[in-house]
Amino acid sequence: MSNEISFHFNGAKFTGAAGQSVAAALIANGERELRRTRFGEEPRSIFCGIGICFDCVVTINGVANQRACLIEISNDMKVESSL
Amino acid sequence: MIIVVGAGPAGLAAAKSAASKGCQVTVIDSQPRGGGQYWRHLTAVSGYKSNRSAAYLKELQQNKLITHITGAQVWSAEKLGDGYQLNYLQAGVEKKISAQKIILTTGAYDRTLPFPGWTTSGVMTPGGAQSLLKGHGVVAGKAIVVSGTGPFLLPVATALAKSGAYVEIIEAQSPLRWALSPLALLLNPGKFPELMHYASAIVRLKIKVSFGSAVTEYHSGVAQVSKVRSDLSIRKKNIRNISADVVATGWGFLPDVTLGGILGCAQTLDRHETVVFEVDKEQRASAQNIWIAGEATGIGGADLALAEGAIAGLSATGSRIPAGLRWKRLTKRLFAKALQRSYPVGGGWQEWLRDETVICRCEEVSYQEIIESVQELGAEDARTSKLFTRAGMGLCQGRVCSRNVSDVVSGTTKCAVSRSERLAASNRPIAAPISLGVLGDGIAG
Amino acid sequence: MKSPDAIVIGAGIVGASCALSLTNAGLNVLVIDRGSVSSGTTGAGEGNILVSDKDPGPELTLALRSRDLWFEMQEDVGDYFELEAKGGVVVARHDDSALMKLASDQREHGVDAQVVGASDLHNLEPYLHPEFHSGVFYPQDAQCQPMLAAAHVIRTVISRGGNFISQAKVTEVLVKDSQVYGVETSKGKFLAPIVVNATGTWAGEIARMAGSDLPIAPRRGFILVTEPAPQYIFHKVYDSDYVVNVASSDADLQTSTVVEGTRSGTILIGASRERVGFDGSKNVEILRKLAAQATSLFPILRDVQLLRAYHGFRPYAPDHLPVVGEDAQVKGLWHSAGHEGAGIGLAPGSAALITDEILGRPSFMDASAFSPARFAMVKV
Repeated sequence: MSNEISFHFNGAKFTGAAGQSVAAALIANGERELRRTRFGEEPRSIFCGIGICFDCVVTINGVANQRACLIEISNDMKVESSL
Repeated sequence: MIIVVGAGPAGLAAAKSAASKGCQVTVIDSQPRGGGQYWRHLTAVSGYKSNRSAAYLKELQQNKLITHITGAQVWSAEKLGDGYQLNYLQAGVEKKISAQKIILTTGAYDRTLPFPGWTTSGVMTPGGAQSLLKGHGVVAGKAIVVSGTGPFLLPVATALAKSGAYVEIIEAQSPLRWALSPLALLLNPGKFPELMHYASAIVRLKIKVSFGSAVTEYHSGVAQVSKVRSDLSIRKKNIRNISADVVATGWGFLPDVTLGGILGCAQTLDRHETVVFEVDKEQRASAQNIWIAGEATGIGGADLALAEGAIAGLSATGSRIPAGLRWKRLTKRLFAKALQRSYPVGGGWQEWLRDETVICRCEEVSYQEIIESVQELGAEDARTSKLFTRAGMGLCQGRVCSRNVSDVVSGTTKCAVSRSERLAASNRPIAAPISLGVLGDGIAG
Repeated sequence: MKSPDAIVIGAGIVGASCALSLTNAGLNVLVIDRGSVSSGTTGAGEGNILVSDKDPGPELTLALRSRDLWFEMQEDVGDYFELEAKGGVVVARHDDSALMKLASDQREHGVDAQVVGASDLHNLEPYLHPEFHSGVFYPQDAQCQPMLAAAHVIRTVISRGGNFISQAKVTEVLVKDSQVYGVETSKGKFLAPIVVNATGTWAGEIARMAGSDLPIAPRRGFILVTEPAPQYIFHKVYDSDYVVNVASSDADLQTSTVVEGTRSGTILIGASRERVGFDGSKNVEILRKLAAQATSLFPILRDVQLLRAYHGFRPYAPDHLPVVGEDAQVKGLWHSAGHEGAGIGLAPGSAALITDEILGRPSFMDASAFSPARFAMVKV
């Protein structure tokens, strides 16, 4: 893939293709678990994939509850699992 | 100027037909590229006749009368004089656009049903798997069970198999149900080659297909398949297990009716008790100068959306609607009705649940909590149950669970869900989250 | 079902409290509602149990007693409704003299109103905008989850022999010789010599059915609900304009902010008031004003996202005092309504007043200021 983008997820470095969503790039890297839930601390991943369900929310560059399935990766982006 | 909300088949058809009459059109859409969920970003992996979209996308890019606003999430809408204003977010900045006339083509999303294990990673919607593949070039898993009901399972399953995944299709309904709709089949001969296209792909790709079954539980990488009746109640539990790292499960679609609801467009229920918009024969909504086309008026697929979009675009420019276009819409609507008859979603899925099965994914409300809100606290409808349990109050605002919560409450009270409850569940004054800072900065004056 | 001693119309928190209080006094009570439990204004409430926003006078006396009764009700019913004395913090944006005067008056009437300087204020609320340098802390201000409260209170009433019938819309209040003897509903006729009208915004309608009159009108109030966020707000925080607005009868929209966190992590921003009819339409400008005011109190909220907004209709009387007592014309018809934005807080206190009067026993205060007869006198 051309146009490789590198970004961080929970402190670790990952790469993905330009235009890929955060969720897609992480799944391509084998990172299924995007966050843990607030109450049951259950792992969650992508579910609807089109911005409806908010299951894939992560903190991106400090802003909480961003939908990983909608936001495209960019260089040096810092992605963290939300609460 | 006319605003078209949505750049899927209906929106593109509306823009094209309105522009063909010399009208300025602005297409506003949340995705980075046109095409909508169905014609999502054309890559190497294409579905049946997806080249058809090329002409529409070319129009979107090249017609000087059409402006395309991408990555725009409309969060609210207001009536302004004799027109409308849409407030939207683009890259975190709030912008406004107004026009006298609006065509809404807001599309639909996968309907899902809960089952034990449906919140574990690996379970996603067919739309989600499709978007990963077509939009981002990522195959969701190595062994994928595509389950649920409806024809959309076919393009998803074949595309995933083509990309190298092992795929099985678990369809809940019997194909024999199509015999209930002979006229619709007769009037839509074009559907046969499409069916053959997928049938041959299934054979070629060695996709195993089961009918009358459903994935009723998933854990530790194993999908448990049960035989189900047409109302989805269990005929025979756990007839077999399939090792799978992904279960893509969907039960038809739910129209996105949020924006039209904010603008006061009258809604009604289709035969699946799904909330859709009421439109007249020119796709006019009940609110003045608003037209609605595509899935938001009832799930019917891309062909129907194209016809409805074209009619809406013509009507909005005050042009005559050719009889051929009306006929096309009529036959596609018949087909849509046949689809609904062939792929019903009954309430039997409640048999699949365990007490602890999560119904509301956002607020992690279990099946048992909803039952208790009815039996112990006296909730008699979903609204009251939600106030007690917080089901449907989370980030997705009940888009995923509100229907299921209503059904669980009704399954407990043994009273049918009222029409007003179904309609009220789709009422969301804020169409998309907006930060308080941006919201407050937008004060007029 | 045997014939009840009293019928309470309305299964919101006001009706539920009345039913419990009467039940505990030995009466057999039937609660009816045209919907289900908490389906009116209670279901749109934030659960405010406030003493901080009341001027000295009968309403403050009621609020103080009612606040204590909430905790007694919790002991009686069980810890099921998230009752919490979280405390209120009122800040003054510019000139704090009006706030300080109010606090001093309140203190004389038994309110714990502690003046706090800049450093204490920011210890209480670390994320408050630094421009605020004085305020008043009200440790008595409390909060509950009103829908759960009403449901559990009614459950307790039922467990003590009372009854609840939902989806029973009152079509007629039965009156003979100026004495009430029951109600006709969509689910049948129910007879009792005592009928309590606890129907909030709809109380005027019930009064009219009895041939009486009650000037109660709806006032729309919005609440904004954010996404779940870390705990940024520790009390119920509002600017002192709120206290001024509560007593206003200006028909124009007024906004002043109350900001607070909830157990679920969402932040509630409320308190816009405008006097409109039952028009449910939303207004983006109101949302913007509330958001701007909330972020000016707590700049950290700028990055927190608004998820939904809802409104309820607060019932209010022309003099902004609740209507609690026996009808001026119809004997046996009691009203507990018109509590405006304070219905949750004032519910058990109002219930105690009505129960005491019905039983003819002395009460904790003189309730004549709340008498429904006050409007009849104006008319004459």
